[in-house]
This record gives sequence, C-alpha cells and structure tokens, in this order.
Amino acid sequence: MSIRFDRVSKSFGTKRVLDEVSFDVKTGEILFILGRSGMGKSVTLKQMIGLLKADSGNIFVDDQEVTRLNENQLAGVRQKCGMVFQHPALLDSLTVFENIAFGLKTPQFIKRQGGPLPSEEIQRRVQQKLSLVHLSTDVLERFPSELSYGMQKRVSLARTLAPSPSYLLFDEPTTGLDPITTNAINDLIHDLSKKLQVTSIVVSHDMACALKIADRVLVLDQGKILAHTTRAQLKLSKEPLIRDFLSETLALLPPEERAEARAEVTAT
Amino acid sequence: MNAIRTLIQATMGFFQELGATALFFGRVVRTFRNTQDNFQPILAQVAFVSYRSVSTVLFAGVFVGAILVLQIDLILSKYDAEIFLGGLNTSTVIREVGPLIISFLLAGKIGAFTAAELGTMRVTEQIDAIECLGTNPIHYLVVPRLFGIMISSLILLFIGLIVSVGGAMSVAWFARGINTVEFASSIPKFVSISTFGAALLKALIYGGIVATVSCHRGFTASGGARGVGQAVTQAAIYTNLYILFANFTLSHILDLIEVLANSARGVS
Repeated sequence: MSIRFDRVSKSFGTKRVLDEVSFDVKTGEILFILGRSGMGKSVTLKQMIGLLKADSGNIFVDDQEVTRLNENQLAGVRQKCGMVFQHPALLDSLTVFENIAFGLKTPQFIKRQGGPLPSEEIQRRVQQKLSLVHLSTDVLERFPSELSYGMQKRVSLARTLAPSPSYLLFDEPTTGLDPITTNAINDLIHDLSKKLQVTSIVVSHDMACALKIADRVLVLDQGKILAHTTRAQLKLSKEPLIRDFLSETLALLPPEERAEARAEVTAT
Repeated sequence: MNAIRTLIQATMGFFQELGATALFFGRVVRTFRNTQDNFQPILAQVAFVSYRSVSTVLFAGVFVGAILVLQIDLILSKYDAEIFLGGLNTSTVIREVGPLIISFLLAGKIGAFTAAELGTMRVTEQIDAIECLGTNPIHYLVVPRLFGIMISSLILLFIGLIVSVGGAMSVAWFARGINTVEFASSIPKFVSISTFGAALLKALIYGGIVATVSCHRGFTASGGARGVGQAVTQAAIYTNLYILFANFTLSHILDLIEVLANSARGVS
C-alpha cells in the first residue's frame, strides 16, 4: 500500500515542470514536497489523483496505475486520497454540515459502503470530524462565507477526512494564514496523520513546517528531485537552494532557537 | 494583408470555439444519459431561472409588443391595411422577436451569472474538490443548469408571448383605436400551430446555446479573478454570435420546410 512515481514527466507548453521524476511514499509517513513557486509541486499532487495527466511515466496508488485509469476508475482512487486544496474550496451554497457530509453521499462512497449511510450516522460522522479539527458544532449551520479563512481551512480538512481516506494530500495548506493559525494547522496535520494512521503528502514552500512535522522531505527544482531525505539529513545538505531555504527559515526563528539551529546546520 | 489575416483568425477562432462548445454539449448529454437522480436538481434550476428572469421578461415583453405594434401600424396605415395589424404583430413576435428577445435576456441575466458562478468555482478549486470527493462535476453542476435553462426558456417564451401580445393589444386600442376583437380577428390568418412549433424549437435551441456556452466558459475558466471576468465576457460575446448565426440558419430551414409543406399541400 503506497504511492509511487516512476519517471514521470509533465510539461506546460515549452516549460517542463517535471522531468522523469521518480520517488515513493511509505505507508504512514508524512512526506513534504518542498520547492520554489512554479516548480511542479502542486502538479505532482494533482497527477496522483488524475486531476492532471502525466505526459509520460507511471504513477501507482496501491498498485493501481493512475495514468491508465478512466474517469470511473479514477473516482475510486480519489476516494482513497483525500485532498485539501490551497483554497478551502468549500461549496458556497452549502452549509458547513452539508459540505462535510458531501463526501458521505457520493455514489462512490455509497458503493464502497455497500449502501447509503443513515442520516444519524452521517450526523455522527460529521460531528466527529469537526471535533478532530477542533471546531465546535456551532458552525454546522453556518455558510462558508460566515467563517474566518482559518476556520474554512479546518472545515475543508474535516470534509476531506469524512470519507476516511487512506492518503491525505495537502496542497499549500498554510498559504494565506497568520503564523499562529499556520502552527495550529501544521500541528493538526501531524496529529491527524499519526492518530488516524494515514499517509500524508504535504506540498509547501514552508521549510520551517517541513522541519517540524515531516518524516521525509522531497525537494523539487527545475523539474528534478534535488533531495529526497529525512529532515535530519536535510539540515546537512550542501545544495545551495536548500541552504538558502534553511537560512531563510532560521532567520524567522526566535533568537535562542536560531542560535541552536544555526550551530547544528553550520556544523556540517 | 493584416486585415485579411485577422479576419481569417477571427473566423477560425469562431468555429474552433463552436466545435469546443459542441463537444462540451455532447459530454453533458452523455453524462445526463449515464447518471440518475437528475430530475430534482433540474426542476430546482427551472424554478430558480424562471423566478429570476420572469420580471425582466414581463417588462421587456410588454414593451416589445408595444413598440412592434406602433412600427407595424406605421407601415400598414400607408396601405390602409390596419386590419392585419394583430396578425402581423403576433406572427412577428412568435416567429422571430419572442425567441430572440427571451434568449438575449437569458444570456444577459442567467448566462453571465452561470459563467461567473462556475468560473469562480473553477478558479477557487471547488470543482476540483467536487471531483476529488467522488462526484462528477458535470453531473452535479452542469446537467441541472443546462437543462434547467433550456426548459426555462420555453416557460419564459410562453409568458413573454402572452404579455407581448397583451401589450400590443393595449397600445393598439389606446393609441390607434383598434379594439381587441379587431386585433385578434386577423391572428388566425398569420399564426398557425406550426408558427408556435417554430417558436418553441427556436427558444429551445437558443436556450441551449445560452446554457452550453455559459457553462462551458465558466467550467473551463482559469487564471483567477481575471480569468472569471474573461469567461463572462466571452460567454456573452459567443452566446450572442451563436444565437444570431442559429437564427439565420434556422429561419431559412423553417421557411424552406414551410414552402415545401405548402407546395405538397397544393399538389395533393
């Protein structure tokens, strides 16, 4: 049970964003995909669930070759992979309850369950997922426009969790959030991944976040993998881009933590 | 040379867009045929579109009838043929003006709204989220809107024709002293069942154009707020162009059918 990329390439016009990229994701781990903007991080994520088609190469999700699946078969893969988008992507016309319950009423979910869930069970699951993302049931009847951006992100996460996916894919989960909410979302990703024992892939350019919660980190640049390693090993990297990322991250740390981290990095 | 090149490019663009729109329509129809539970969402859209447009149709219908009756009377009075005012006015409204005005009103009010709504959903990844949760977005979003707008165009045409003829009768009476009986007496000479059939066919096709173009432009929007703006503008431009193109073609075909039918009747 894992996700594997095998020599995957993808171009947009003349720009090659992925150039024969190969890597795998181990079951239960949190993999961080880091890189500058426009380096194919989100493209990598979207290709896993067939929202974008790879030009060449193979992508396996639980031994299913995603690039060869039709729309119906892809719907099955998407049920296994819950995706949290850069924007909260909540349906404006539905309440929080209806948004979270959306994935519990789809034909794919009903097929997987062997029948529709009773309304009491849907209610129970929605409330359970809401408490997992630390939101109270007061928000259930509200519309997304009545919530703060941070709360919308949490509801989006609850909606993704509702159908109990095996994989969680996060596309820039902390973009547009203040530092406190960013920390809270990062902790949430870590805690949920470990608590629910799901495999998580997080696309971000937030090195501090990667150093905090990632089991392994994959750095993409110019369509190639620059590093695919543990966070401890990443700190020892001599790649200029990674050093730049690290020094930018260190600058944001409090003075005492910064000195400690700088000593650790420069010791290499 | 540049002017010719621009003209060729514009013509090619027109037909390329027409082809893409036709393919999109085919995709929606296939989805409709292959999915269930479409009836209720379509009905909800019919109610929504009709409710939102009925006031504009009532207002426009009265004035269209009133303007036409004044213009036609101006010409007929030169030949002392005011007796035909009711028939000519009603025939013109049913054959041409009614379906055209209804479709232009729908394009302005519902087409722009639909393109903006779907475009926003696309650029804020709501459509991707629906897909990821295991629901076909064409089934969930486009099928109800497309068939809802098409059915509504028939309902609105019916309402529009009634108020238009009512408006024409009122103006004929108050401004020209032609009473209701005189006005109505010439209608059967100019209007038959086939006239209504032609009007319904036109309204259905024009409604289909409004719905398909606006859904297509919105569904394929990209590039943030600017992309949504472009989608709405293009939806408005292409809808009007296609309706005029379809009106020209349909009018010729329907006239030809009528001529053939009349000659066949004459032979028999």
